[in-house]
Amino acid sequence: MPGLTLVARETTNLGCNCNRSRAGDQMCHQESKVHLSSEEAIAAEESLSVYCKPVELYNILQRRALRNPSFLQRCLHYKIEAKQKKRMQMTISLSGIVNAGAQAQDVLPLYVLLARAVPDNMVEKHSVAYRLSRACVLTAFSESGRERSQATFIMPELNKLLAEAKSGSLSVLLVTSGETRVSSGENNLLKDHSDLASIPSKFGGQCLWGKLPVDSLYSAWEKCASLSLGHRSEMLLTIDMWSSFLEPSCLDVDSCITFQTPHTSGTTNSLRQVKVNVLAHEVGAKERSPYESYAYNDVPTSSLSQIIRLRTGNVIFNYRYYDNTLQKTEVTEDFSCPFCLVQCASFKGLRYHLSSSHDLFNFEFWVTEEYQAVNVSVKTDIWRSEIVADGVDPRHQTFLFCSKPRRLRRSKSQLQNAKHVHAHVTKMDSPEAAGEGSHEDFMEKDADGSSNKLENKKVSKALFGEYHMQSRKRVSECCHPENPCALESMEPVASSSNMFAKTRKLSVERPDPRNHALLQKRQFFHSHRAQPMELEQVYSDQDSEDEVDDDIADFEDRRLLDDFVDVTKDEKQIMHLWNSFVRKQRVLADGHIPWACEAFSKLHGPDLVQVPALIWCWRLFMIKLWNHNLLDARTMNNCNIILESYQERSDPKQS
Amino acid sequence: MVKTALGCEPVVGSLTPSKKREYKVSNRVQEGKRPLYAIAFNFVDARYYNVFATVGGNRVTIYQCLEGGVIAVLQAYVDEDKEESFYTLSWACNLDGTPFLVAGGYNGIIRVIDAGSENIHKSFVGHGESINEIRTQALKPSLVVSASKDESVRLWNVHTGICILIFAGAGGHRNEVLSVDFHPSDMYRIASCGMDNTVKIWSMKEFWTYVEKSFTWTDLPSKFPTKYVQFPVFTASVHSNYVDCNRWLGDFILSKSVDNEIVLWEPKTKEQSPGEGVVDILQKYPVPECDIWFIKFSCDFHYNAAAIGNREGKIFVWELQSSPPVLIARLSHVQCKLAIRQTAMSFDGSTILSCCEDGTIWRWDAVIS
Repeated sequence: MPGLTLVARETTNLGCNCNRSRAGDQMCHQESKVHLSSEEAIAAEESLSVYCKPVELYNILQRRALRNPSFLQRCLHYKIEAKQKKRMQMTISLSGIVNAGAQAQDVLPLYVLLARAVPDNMVEKHSVAYRLSRACVLTAFSESGRERSQATFIMPELNKLLAEAKSGSLSVLLVTSGETRVSSGENNLLKDHSDLASIPSKFGGQCLWGKLPVDSLYSAWEKCASLSLGHRSEMLLTIDMWSSFLEPSCLDVDSCITFQTPHTSGTTNSLRQVKVNVLAHEVGAKERSPYESYAYNDVPTSSLSQIIRLRTGNVIFNYRYYDNTLQKTEVTEDFSCPFCLVQCASFKGLRYHLSSSHDLFNFEFWVTEEYQAVNVSVKTDIWRSEIVADGVDPRHQTFLFCSKPRRLRRSKSQLQNAKHVHAHVTKMDSPEAAGEGSHEDFMEKDADGSSNKLENKKVSKALFGEYHMQSRKRVSECCHPENPCALESMEPVASSSNMFAKTRKLSVERPDPRNHALLQKRQFFHSHRAQPMELEQVYSDQDSEDEVDDDIADFEDRRLLDDFVDVTKDEKQIMHLWNSFVRKQRVLADGHIPWACEAFSKLHGPDLVQVPALIWCWRLFMIKLWNHNLLDARTMNNCNIILESYQERSDPKQS
Repeated sequence: MVKTALGCEPVVGSLTPSKKREYKVSNRVQEGKRPLYAIAFNFVDARYYNVFATVGGNRVTIYQCLEGGVIAVLQAYVDEDKEESFYTLSWACNLDGTPFLVAGGYNGIIRVIDAGSENIHKSFVGHGESINEIRTQALKPSLVVSASKDESVRLWNVHTGICILIFAGAGGHRNEVLSVDFHPSDMYRIASCGMDNTVKIWSMKEFWTYVEKSFTWTDLPSKFPTKYVQFPVFTASVHSNYVDCNRWLGDFILSKSVDNEIVLWEPKTKEQSPGEGVVDILQKYPVPECDIWFIKFSCDFHYNAAAIGNREGKIFVWELQSSPPVLIARLSHVQCKLAIRQTAMSFDGSTILSCCEDGTIWRWDAVIS
């Protein structure tokens, strides 16, 4: 699992109340290098809790993703697995013929086929059928060094091969083409299998063939212990070759061949023997360095930090908090994301993942020869409605776009409840200012750190790892001032204590009257009229900026409708009535339409019934709405009932 | 562009001067080194028909035309902002008849100068860009309209300092507005033209209550419910380039682009569909060497004649209301070689003033035969 320091991390941990403690565990321990007063330490601890809410959110998302991972992550996972899968590579070459007097031409070209025996019941007594899976052709002996002197097959890793071996059906076949004849069916037989493309079309007829069962190969490999360590295993085998009649056949879609033993021969006597060299070694496992297969228990703590650095997939995460003056560090392996444990395959991938999936944080990426690291800080400028105060059910909050988020956040209860998510951000000290922190300072802090380490022997290995890294960083910084990355990363930490006092003051003592004075000094202009506003107007509660003048809007609407040439006057009238109704009643969403239709019928019904043409325009319009699934039939019926009731009311009066 | 049917071709005036009237240079005043962009007689007040004003740079100067070609300086105002460059001016007056001089330019601030008390009466801010032309409603001389680079036209009440209407929005100009003019008899109509090559006619009939309200408004001017007029009643594409000057001639419109001519045309609005319409081009008044933009023409009080300068410092005086148009006179002087941006015709057309790029004012007087 990623994150050496994530011992206490449990994804099954539900509920919100636990987050505070959990975050503490996740983010490893509090750095003790910077001297803080107890009061400051508490404040720092509090500022660390800024991480709680976003981390909680991402935990929720990750928990959801467990059951239903995103497409991209599934693909990525598959790719990573495929990359790390072990396989056996088997190379077969022909080293010679045993029988004296046999000519090379008798055997060559020799086809090496990986084939599976077809169960007996399907074929006749004197024949054996095989389903081909892969094929190679040998045209020369191994010594000759010419092309096509060896056949190479990739097979599953040893453990998986066991299953195959048990079934005993998989074998390597050696076939000479013997007397060849051209048969019409062969092209069909082979054309569908790109693997078998190397077999010439004239495959078939009288031949010699030999069998090398995979289970025997397996048992030989199994004994060879060094195979799993990346060593090669080489075997020289002698294979008997029998004469038989080879017949290609097409069973279903797979290509099969059948060997028919001549009835006359009776006993199976081998005609020739060939010597075959089988070379096997593991492939695919090479990418993983030996370090990575060790469990941490076996590693002496002193060398752990080295391993951490050496592993390519290890990424250091520095969590900045307390106005970017303190940081907590954790390490993840396999380029995993510390928030959702997704493995990202490369640092670049991690980079994209972090910035796309965890945008509640700011990330700074830096890579040195020794390690790759990510500086994480919480984005404070994008507090969205996702982050709500404790004890407030987000479902009960009205969803609305708030154009004045600051005012909303400052409401008192919200502030008190959501205090721990409200981070106070100040800019990092400028490099000049940070330069004051001398090397002695670093050394002193270093010493502090190590003494702490000695005292607290029971501290987890992970923490040791981190200490090592920290101290290494400092040493490297002292010795190699040309390493700007390391320097940069340290500056904020060094300049912490002075920063604190300043910012604290600022936030507390910001005077409200001063803002007031600033407001008075400035000239404000009305957003619509661009006219300078009097102070009285600026302070007044009235806000005319969103005002819509209905008369003028109606006028403009009519003007625009007048431009239509192919619309009758009655239609224009209905359009106009509807447009102004929609504007005044703020009919904005599709879901408002049914209500709007009923209300419109009620409002304008008495007038509409006076003019039958208008009423028909209105009905046609409702049908159009119904066509577009904006209006249901029941509501349309209601509207018509309303209109009819008005008609009935008006009719007796007229008559 | 406008298509004309057979037999409806516009009448083009002949460039041979009719010698109906002869003009002679009677004075030349060098005001400064900076180009003068506008010059105008005061037609608002009958007492001051011989008073005119010029603007150039950050300076506004008021002169008087006296007998015998004499030009007397009456007042001069200098904007405290040296960067200001006035482009346009217009005479207006207060409800009690005090003459106002309204000027605007690069800064986009309209200065209303009370020429009676020699003070700034008001400054109008609101335009987001420079102001290209200001015109006064002759029937209600406290209403002025301004055309701006910010693609809007605004109607102001100089008496109360209120921005009444803004002619801009969905149907508005799509580039700088260069010129604007009030209809001579229909109080509700204005015409504007600009860099989007169109001439637009606007009606404020539906908004007239706001215009009336502006005269009696006693609250803060910034609280006035300024309205947007978004749709013109007519949009004409008479020209294929910047239209830099337009004036009403009765219900017809005189407009010019950079095509060496002034065009007289009639906007024909269709009854059933306002906004659309056809244009009937009636007459053309050729003006040679008048192919740069921001050259404006002026007319006498009764719109009998129009005077326009050109790139080479010559002035063409056209009889407007005859058909075919008659060139009254062609004025040129060997020492006047630079572009004339604006002319001013006196009430009866007997005096023509021109302001030159080199900061000179030329006075031409009709020779009494």
